[in-house]
Amino acid sequence: MSRPKLWKLNPLKFTKMSPARQAKIEASPAKPLPSLDSYKPNQIANALHPKAQYLKVVKIKDEAGGAKSYYLAPNQEKGTEALAWFSAGQYVSVTLKIGDMTLTRPYSLASSPRESLENIYMITVENVEGGLASQFILNNWKVGTEITTSAPLGNFTYEPLRDAKTVVVLVGGSSITPIRSLALAVADGDEDADLIILYGSRTLEETIFFQDLLNLEEKCERIKVVNIFSEEEREGYEHGFITAELIKKYAPDDEYSLFICGPQVMREFVDKEIETLGLRKKFIRHEVFGEYFGPSKEADYPENVAPSFKVTVRIAGKEQVITASSDISLLRSMEANGISAPARCRSGECGWCHSKLVSGEIYTPKIIDYRREADLIYGYIHPCSSFPLSDLIIEVPPFAE
Amino acid sequence: MEKLYDVIVVGAGNAGMVAAANTSKAGLKTLLLEKHNIPGGCATSFRRGRFEFEPSLHELCSVGTAEKPDQVYTIFENLGAKPKWYYETDYLFRAIVKGENGYDVRLKTGVEDFCNSVDAAVPGSKDNVRAFVDLKEKVDAAINYIYATKGNPSGPVMLLKHADFMRVAGHSVEDVMTALSIPEKARNIMCTYWGYLGVPTDELNAMHYLNMLYGYMINGAAMTKHRSHELSLSLIEVIRKHGGEIRFNSKVTEFLYNDDGSVAGVVANGEKLYSKEVISNVIPHNVFNMSQADKIPEQHLKLANAREFGISVATIYLGLDCTREELGLDDYTIFVMSDPNPRIQHDTRTDGGFYIVNCLNKVVPDSSPEGTCTLFFTMPIFGHDVPKDLAPQDYKKYKNELAKKYIEDAEKTLGISIMPHIEEISVATPVTFARYLGTPEGTIYGYKLSGWDNLMARIAGEKDDFTIPGLSFCGGHHVRGDGYSSAYIVGETAANRVIQRLKGDA
Repeated sequence: MSRPKLWKLNPLKFTKMSPARQAKIEASPAKPLPSLDSYKPNQIANALHPKAQYLKVVKIKDEAGGAKSYYLAPNQEKGTEALAWFSAGQYVSVTLKIGDMTLTRPYSLASSPRESLENIYMITVENVEGGLASQFILNNWKVGTEITTSAPLGNFTYEPLRDAKTVVVLVGGSSITPIRSLALAVADGDEDADLIILYGSRTLEETIFFQDLLNLEEKCERIKVVNIFSEEEREGYEHGFITAELIKKYAPDDEYSLFICGPQVMREFVDKEIETLGLRKKFIRHEVFGEYFGPSKEADYPENVAPSFKVTVRIAGKEQVITASSDISLLRSMEANGISAPARCRSGECGWCHSKLVSGEIYTPKIIDYRREADLIYGYIHPCSSFPLSDLIIEVPPFAE
Repeated sequence: MEKLYDVIVVGAGNAGMVAAANTSKAGLKTLLLEKHNIPGGCATSFRRGRFEFEPSLHELCSVGTAEKPDQVYTIFENLGAKPKWYYETDYLFRAIVKGENGYDVRLKTGVEDFCNSVDAAVPGSKDNVRAFVDLKEKVDAAINYIYATKGNPSGPVMLLKHADFMRVAGHSVEDVMTALSIPEKARNIMCTYWGYLGVPTDELNAMHYLNMLYGYMINGAAMTKHRSHELSLSLIEVIRKHGGEIRFNSKVTEFLYNDDGSVAGVVANGEKLYSKEVISNVIPHNVFNMSQADKIPEQHLKLANAREFGISVATIYLGLDCTREELGLDDYTIFVMSDPNPRIQHDTRTDGGFYIVNCLNKVVPDSSPEGTCTLFFTMPIFGHDVPKDLAPQDYKKYKNELAKKYIEDAEKTLGISIMPHIEEISVATPVTFARYLGTPEGTIYGYKLSGWDNLMARIAGEKDDFTIPGLSFCGGHHVRGDGYSSAYIVGETAANRVIQRLKGDA
C-alpha cells in the first residue's frame, strides 16, 4: 500500500473557492425565478392534490330509496379548470355552510376515475332521516349550485402489490358508492382485479345502483354481483345478511382480499363473521368507519361520566367556551356551536383534525383510534374520534380549505 | 409601526422548529407559522392500518449520548426537549454491490472498528483509511479557529497552521482519498454514504463528507422510538412551554417589506402579521416568489438562478405481516448498488443504481405491532427524473411499477421474500415531496451541494448571499446543506443571531 500523500493537494485551491463561487453567481442572470408550476413534480402534485376544488352541480339523478346522485363539474369562474384524477374508492370532503355552521362531509366518488378526465364526478347522497348534511343537500342543491370540495382523499383503494387478484367486496346500503367506482375502474381497465360484490340491502326496490351494477356485470366478465336482501325473499337472490357461510359460497378457493364497506352496525356484524374465516389481516381492508356514535357502549368506557362538559376551544389566538355532550364527538360539538374546525374523514383515520389537548381527559374508542404514538405522549387528539370525560381546553388549527 | 412579534418563523420544519424553540426560550415573542396541520415537514410520521411509518429519517448523525453528547443531543438538551433516543451500535451499514466486481460488507461503528472492517474487505488499507479519518481532528482545529475569528481568518495562519484543513476543504472526497492512497475499492466502500448528501464523491466537498462520516462513526446511528414525529412534537412542546405561539394550517402567501427594504412581516390566511425579524425555513426560491419583485436584491436572484436543486427521493414504505427475524434481515441499513463507483451509481439512479433498505425494527424492535416489521426503501432521484410525459392519471401506475422493480430487486439481492407479506404499502416520489414540502421539483435537499456551491463555499459566502435586513434563512437549503442534523444546527444558528440582534449580549 502506498503512503498517504496529502501534501500533493494544493492548499491554495481552497482560497480560490470563494472567488470561483462569486464568479459563478455573477455570471448568472438576475431574472425572475420560475413559478412552481413550471416543474414537473409540482405540476403533477397540483393536478392530483389541488388545495381545493371549486365545483358546480350540473345534473341531478334520482336513485333508489330517495337518494340522489349529483354530477359535479369544475367551476371555472372560481378557478378550477379541471377535476383531479382519483383512485377508485377515494372520497372528497365537501364543505357545507348550514346556517351559522361550516362543516364538512366525506362523500365517496361513485363515478369512474375515467369520467374525471371528462370533468365529471358523481357523488350520491342517501336520504338519512334527521341527517343534518344529507337533508341539507337533498333539499338545497340544484343544478348550478356552487360547492367546494377537497382533492380526492383516502386509502380504500385497490393496491396491486398488496391485495389479492380477486377482491370479495362486502358492502351494505348506500356504502355502495365507492364500489360502483371500483367496478367501473375494473371495467375501464384502470384496475387489474376480479370483483365479487356481495351487496346487502333491505329490498330490491331500495337497492341503490341495482341496474348500474347489473349492466356492469354483463359488460365485464371480471365483475360478479350478488345481491342479498334482508327484508325480502326473491327468486335468484340471496336472503338475509352477509355471513361467513355466504362469503365461503362465493369466494374463490385460492387467495382473495376482502373489502368491507358499510355502516357501523353492518361492520360490527361482518367483523364477527369473518373471524371464522382465518384470513390474514393483509387481506381484510376496511373503508373508513364513518361518524362514530355511542362511545358508552364500549367495554373500556369509564363509569359515571357526566352528560356534558365545558370545553374551551382555542383557534388562531381566539378562544370560545362551549358545552359539549359526552356522547358526541368534540368535532360535532364544535360545529354545532358554530366553530369551523378542520375535518376530512371524520372517522379518526386521516388526522386532519389533529389538535392539542391542553388539559382535561378524553375517550377515544379503540376501533377509531389512529393517533400517532408520539401524540399520546405529547397530548394530541383527533376531535372527530374524541369524546370528553372532563372539562377540557383544546387548541385546534384554523379551518383551511 | 408597532411590531406585534419579535420573531416570526415561517415553516415548522426541523430548522424552523429549533429556531422558534430557541427564540421563545430566550424570551422573544415568537410566532411559528406552518402550512400543514402538523409540524415537522419531513420529520413526521404517517399511519396506514396498524402501522406508523417513518417518512424520511434514516439515521441521525452527530447525536451522541448523555455521557458523550454531540451537537444534536446538545441542541435538544439545551432546549429541554426530551425525545427518547435509540441507537444502532453494531454496524453503521451493510453495503452490497451486485455483479462481478461486487462485494457485500458490513462496516462497524467506532473509529478503530470501522477502519478494521474496511481493512477486512481491502487488506492492507487500514493505515490509509485511518489517515482520512484522522483528518477530522485537524479540520476541527481549523474550524474552531475560523469561528474564533468570526469568519475572518488570517491567510498566513490558515496556510501555516491549517494547511491540511485547506487541502481537505478545498478538494473533493475522491481527490483527498486518492491523495491518501486509499485503494479504489476501499474508497468506494467508504463513500457509500454519498446518497445522504445527494452528490457523488468526485464532486462532494471532502470536509463535508468527513464530518458526516465521522459523526456516524463515533456515535452510531440514532433514532427516536416513535418516528420523527416524536422529535418534532418534543420541539413544539418547548415552544409552547415558553409562551411561543404556533399556528398550523397557516400558509404564508406573502412576505411584507418596509420602504427601506427590510422585512416587515408576512401574510398568512389573509392576515398581515408583523415582526422585527422573520426567519424563513422556506427555500429562498419560494420566498422570493412571494415577495414584491423590487425588494429582492439582484445578487439574491443571481445566486438563486445559478443554483441547481438538490436531489429528492422516491421511497417505499412497507408494513409486513412477518417479523424481521422471519424475514431474515439482520441489518438496519443496507445500501444496494449495481456498480462500485459512486458517480456511476448516481448516473444510473433511475435504473436501480443505488438504493437504501432500512428495517427500523432492528433499532426499535417494537416500532411496529407484534408479529410485523416495516421496511423503508429510499432511492435518491431528482425531481427532473420524473418522466416529462407522465400524466396525472398514470401516476399511480408509475409508482407501483417503481415499487415492484425495487422490491423484486431487494428480494433477489438479499435472498428474502417480501412481496407475499405486504400488508400496507405506500410509495412516495418527488411528486409527493413537491406536494408536502412545496419545494421546487420536490427537492428535499434544498440546493445541490455542487462543487462550486459546497458547504465551505456557502459558509464563506453567507454574509453576501443573504442581505435583506430582518430576513434570515435556515433549513436544508441553507449553508450546511441537507440532513436532520444540519437543519437543526442552522436553525439554532439563525435563532442565536436573531437573539443577539434583538437582545444584544444582555
